[in-house]
Amino acid sequence: MARNFTEIFGSVWFAIPAAVTVIMGFLAINALMIVWMERKVAARMQRRMGPTERGVFGLLQTTYDMIKLMSKELITPRHVSRKLYLVAPVVLFTPIIAICSLFPLSENWVFHDYDIALVLVLAFSGMAVVGIFAAGWGSNNKYSLLGAVRSILQNIAYEVPLILSVLAVVIMARTMSLHEIVMEQSTIPYIVVQPLAAIIFFIAATAETNRAPFDIPEAESELVGGFHTEYSGMRFGLFFFAEYSSMIIVCALATVLFLGGWQGPILPGFVWFFIKVYFLIFLMMWFRWTFPRLRFDQLLRFAWLLLVPLALANLLVTAIIVKLI
Amino acid sequence: MEMFGEYGFFGALLLAGVFLGLGPVLVPLLIAPHSRGEKTEETYECGMETIGSAWIRFDLAFYLFALIFLAFSVAALYLFPVAVVYNSDAYIWRDLIAVTLFLLIMSSPLVYAWRMGVFGGGRGVVITQEDDTHEKAD
Repeated sequence: MARNFTEIFGSVWFAIPAAVTVIMGFLAINALMIVWMERKVAARMQRRMGPTERGVFGLLQTTYDMIKLMSKELITPRHVSRKLYLVAPVVLFTPIIAICSLFPLSENWVFHDYDIALVLVLAFSGMAVVGIFAAGWGSNNKYSLLGAVRSILQNIAYEVPLILSVLAVVIMARTMSLHEIVMEQSTIPYIVVQPLAAIIFFIAATAETNRAPFDIPEAESELVGGFHTEYSGMRFGLFFFAEYSSMIIVCALATVLFLGGWQGPILPGFVWFFIKVYFLIFLMMWFRWTFPRLRFDQLLRFAWLLLVPLALANLLVTAIIVKLI
Repeated sequence: MEMFGEYGFFGALLLAGVFLGLGPVLVPLLIAPHSRGEKTEETYECGMETIGSAWIRFDLAFYLFALIFLAFSVAALYLFPVAVVYNSDAYIWRDLIAVTLFLLIMSSPLVYAWRMGVFGGGRGVVITQEDDTHEKAD
């Protein structure tokens, strides 16, 4: 039986600081490592070396970058809408810790198991688009505005296949608690029985995190930096942090829903969990250097004419098969 | 904390997120240099003089997709509670029939939009004055 953090620590007053420390520490180290990994993967795929100077294999490079960002001046352009401009990075950052607390890391490591954890994850990851639009509109910059509009359109296109592919899993598991969904996969991970839903989910998740080939909101060759063009120093750092953390979140969700979460032989649960999560993250980086960026109307048509009908059909077939077995 | 019920934990972490998000923005105020040039606070536009404001009226070419999205996402959310109790013993075939009907009705806006040519070529929206007869397919 899974114990949540409150039971382990005896009181919520200890459990909450403990959870915040653990998650924040993990996310900070993780962001540093993923940026390093991204640069290394990118470099190797282009037959370059990537960072090598600082630390072993250049591992400390992003730490140096972070210190540099910290010591940079924060510039607030004159023509921005101050409230929106200042609040946007914080809005983007706020839900991340709470969302991360929903994932079961191993059988005995559950921060808090909610009956509706799945809906909470989807709802609060959807909040990111509010922060992005606040940033884009508040900046009063044409590039930012276009980036924000594109980001919202992308969300509109990919939220629906995402939800529909998740529903197929919920029908099979008959629960929305992430811990119980993992428990249901003790014999066979859902990717085996739901391959189509898994693929649709992962495509939609890539779009949700604004990563290539769906990085049109921040397409650097067209829009400079997209919605964060006007942000400098640590405010830009927060956007970056939020982006890499949302990669972790969608990959963790994909792991829980389709790859059996922490289930696996021999190695302890959380090791399996992180192996799977980092494998998916590597896959995302691989995508980035494999597929060219889509044009906007191609993307919308791809989502609505291919992914949504497929996800609907998959849902219906799942419902029928679950009934027959 | 108990007075917030089950979600106090989640809420507390959200609150922690707000404060931790403010932290990195406040630290540079202490350690970062502070210098202002003539153009430092100007809006960035690739080095050119900024032309006008970004807050103008513009063509939201894909607004029809937003309408379909509304129709879809709300309907899809209704399916979550259904999916949880799906295939309980109490319903024999009723749940399958209900879900099938629901999905069929739910996908009808998509078919309608497709027939109306929303997904047609070019910049997405091709519904113009001439198409008001609802005849034109593509």
